[in-house]
Amino acid sequence: MKAILTDVTKCIGCAACVTACKETNNLDKGKPREWQKSDGLSSDNWTSVLRKNDTYIRKQCRHCLEPACESVCPVGALHRTESGAVVYDEDKCLGCRYCMMACPYGIPRYEWDSPVPYIRKCIMCHDNIAAGIIDQPACTNICPTQATIYGNRDDLIKEAKRRIKSDPKYLDHIYGETEVGGTNVIYITSKDEKLDFLTYYTNRLGDPEKKYGYPDITQSIPETTKIAMKSVPPAFLGMGAIMTGAYWIVQRRMKIEKANKDANKVNNDKNNEVGNG
Amino acid sequence: MDRISKAKSVLWIILGIAGAVGITRFIFGLGVTTNLTDNTPWGFWIGFDVMGGVALAAGGFVIAAINYIFGNERMHPISRAAILTAFLGYIAVAVGLLFDLGLPWNIWHMMVFWNPHSPLFEVGWCVMLYLSILFLEFAPVILEKWPERKLLAKIHAMLEKVKIPIVIVGIMLSTLHQSSLGSLFLAMPFKLHPIWYTPILPVIFFVSAICLGLTMVMVEGLATSYLYKKEEHPYVLNTLRKSAIVMLLIYAALRFGDIFYRGADKLLFTGTASILFWLEISFTLIIPLIIFSTKGINKKVSWMFVGAFSGVFGIVMNRLNVGGIAHVNNIAESATFYLPSFTEITISAGVVSGAVLIFFYFIENFNVWEEKPVDGTLEVKSIPKFSSNKVYLGSTKVTNRIKFSFFFVIAFGVTFASISGSTIENKGIEEVKVTKARGGDTLIIDGNRDGFAVTFKHEFHKSKNIECGSCHHMNKPGDKSTGCYECHSGMYSEGDGFKHDWHSSSAGAGQSCFKCHDQNVSKGKGFIKSIKKAKDLCLECHEDMFVKNSNIDKYETFKTASYADAMHGLCVNCHEETLKTDSTLKRLKPNLANCSNCHKDDYELKVKQMRGKKLMNKSVILP
Repeated sequence: MKAILTDVTKCIGCAACVTACKETNNLDKGKPREWQKSDGLSSDNWTSVLRKNDTYIRKQCRHCLEPACESVCPVGALHRTESGAVVYDEDKCLGCRYCMMACPYGIPRYEWDSPVPYIRKCIMCHDNIAAGIIDQPACTNICPTQATIYGNRDDLIKEAKRRIKSDPKYLDHIYGETEVGGTNVIYITSKDEKLDFLTYYTNRLGDPEKKYGYPDITQSIPETTKIAMKSVPPAFLGMGAIMTGAYWIVQRRMKIEKANKDANKVNNDKNNEVGNG
Repeated sequence: MDRISKAKSVLWIILGIAGAVGITRFIFGLGVTTNLTDNTPWGFWIGFDVMGGVALAAGGFVIAAINYIFGNERMHPISRAAILTAFLGYIAVAVGLLFDLGLPWNIWHMMVFWNPHSPLFEVGWCVMLYLSILFLEFAPVILEKWPERKLLAKIHAMLEKVKIPIVIVGIMLSTLHQSSLGSLFLAMPFKLHPIWYTPILPVIFFVSAICLGLTMVMVEGLATSYLYKKEEHPYVLNTLRKSAIVMLLIYAALRFGDIFYRGADKLLFTGTASILFWLEISFTLIIPLIIFSTKGINKKVSWMFVGAFSGVFGIVMNRLNVGGIAHVNNIAESATFYLPSFTEITISAGVVSGAVLIFFYFIENFNVWEEKPVDGTLEVKSIPKFSSNKVYLGSTKVTNRIKFSFFFVIAFGVTFASISGSTIENKGIEEVKVTKARGGDTLIIDGNRDGFAVTFKHEFHKSKNIECGSCHHMNKPGDKSTGCYECHSGMYSEGDGFKHDWHSSSAGAGQSCFKCHDQNVSKGKGFIKSIKKAKDLCLECHEDMFVKNSNIDKYETFKTASYADAMHGLCVNCHEETLKTDSTLKRLKPNLANCSNCHKDDYELKVKQMRGKKLMNKSVILP
């Protein structure tokens, strides 16, 4: 399984990856829009370089091992290939944008300007690699400082661990090794700059330790809906059973009531007859 | 006009406005017509139309259960209306969804491409099936109108036989998708605010749907009784009120118990989310519970309406909150806080109006308010009988039709006419006037030539000792990203340096003709030629347009030299001039006549490109 390792300490912020990505995937120049202020990703920018203090952090699709987008898409337009890339089939898509809502990293972007819009996100140059045009994604290919490299996931995790051991400046954490079930795009960073991409939202509530019923951070998103989805057939049949049972009981009770009434009536009639007699 | 006609007129007007606005949605796409962004991809249409709509239609299965399963036949008079509300509600959901989906013509994909892991897949299927079930439940009302047709009567009899199984399947399906709408949001643990996010969200959704079903049936019943001057059944209203109190209390216990169990109660009084939460709770629980349980006012119809409507509003607000407003990324970034746009609200209102109008149609033409007395205690007289063109339509049917279509057409037309370019224009950074176009302190430049400008601190860059040539001397062939190309837009053909149409068009500069031309000359060639002196004229708007010693005096032809000529002229002339005096240049001997000095990189490419071009009376030196 292929993966990308980004070493944040090596990135010089030249954004050559952004340009290379645009060229390889034939993306438009793109127009500045309000929401691009936040992270630079858009339907025409599949990767972007964020600046935080003195470090540059490249943002792109993480290609989760258990992708949220794949599990929530009602028509299965997104799926993970054997190579590890999460790719998109625009012929299936119906434009519900559930993938955008469910992505824990907020990656998929929409072609809001178009009357025929599709979802757009990094696909790890899957099409080109599969066709044999290139042997690695455009971004890792062009990176002048080797800050972002491409390879087998296991090898890259080994390499990341080696780097962390070899230099004390690194933070002893591989981002993406376990988060949301593991991702194929992994990051290592210096101690000064933590990359709390995932805890980003919870952190903003000012209390990262409190979980408030949120699932664990290492739990994949498909797991969160699994219980609810598994209880669908029992709930369906259970409700059917309850309703049928209730109907049967109510009908029976009414029948008995009616029978009693009739019996009473008959008795009354008889009594009356007797009285008359 | 009487009540019902007034109501219908308003609904037709809303429908007209929505119709016009709806067209723009499909022509211009979602980005321009809605406030949806990549930050909040789901908005009002999902929150209100889909999630609210499905919940609003919950009355159908709640009343069906009370009526047919639990055998409370005294609730019979409202069952048909409740099922009709549900049926139209679900149709409204489907229509609303068509507006929200990016590719609505692909909606059938859900039937073909399966992904059973997806909660949305399950919701989609349940809604589709339940819509068919509702149709079967309501079909007898339509079929019984023509009892003399044998085929219809047969189908009617058949449906009556399988009534109970149909009702049970309907309840089963409702249970599933009402709760699964909550499951949708289980997949967003890092987005949905912890006051709302809970593993039991499906259960909460199911219970609140029942509450909403009961209150919505009350609202619908009270509103139609008011409009059609029909008395409400006190028994029915009372039963609904009592059940609503019980369900609302269960909902309250569930909601607060869950919040306290998860420890999210600390968030109940901090931040925007808490305001949203308490608003929601006061509409959903506090107001209805007070009104429903206070003696004296809980018998008054107007107060009951207020209470029921408040309950409906509160739970719909809950759906909106969960659907996108109470998402952490939305609340935290106040700059991009999502509020629905005019388009979104109008289209939703239009969809609802359409559904209500169809509801009225069924009430007037079919036997929706059942008259069959089940029990001797029921008041039967109070239910009016309708024949399509009598009392309650105000005046005669034809005049009403004309009236309503008049309202619709006028509303449609006025809206369509007033949707100007300004409302459907791209929301990019605004185009700014080209002041200080040359050599100023701060420039506004449009490097990509795509209509979007950025501020460029010219003085600052100069102060950094950057060579002027690094920006101003890179006009290589085919280089479209420099200012030169703006006027010298043709590579080998003459270009339009002024863009007359753009200046006169209201979509462009929007200048009047007389700004440049003489007003006293009325027509003909005289008018065209009556141009004021270009230098003074252009300077009125473009302060720094002309370089010193510019040759431009009078804009007679608007024509500019081709890019190649301009560039060649620029470099060759200048170099030749300076070569005479400048000793350094002389020493370096930049032989500009030698083309390959400049055009050396991409020789082959350029030759190929040029061979394809049709050259206009120009002798072109191949690079």
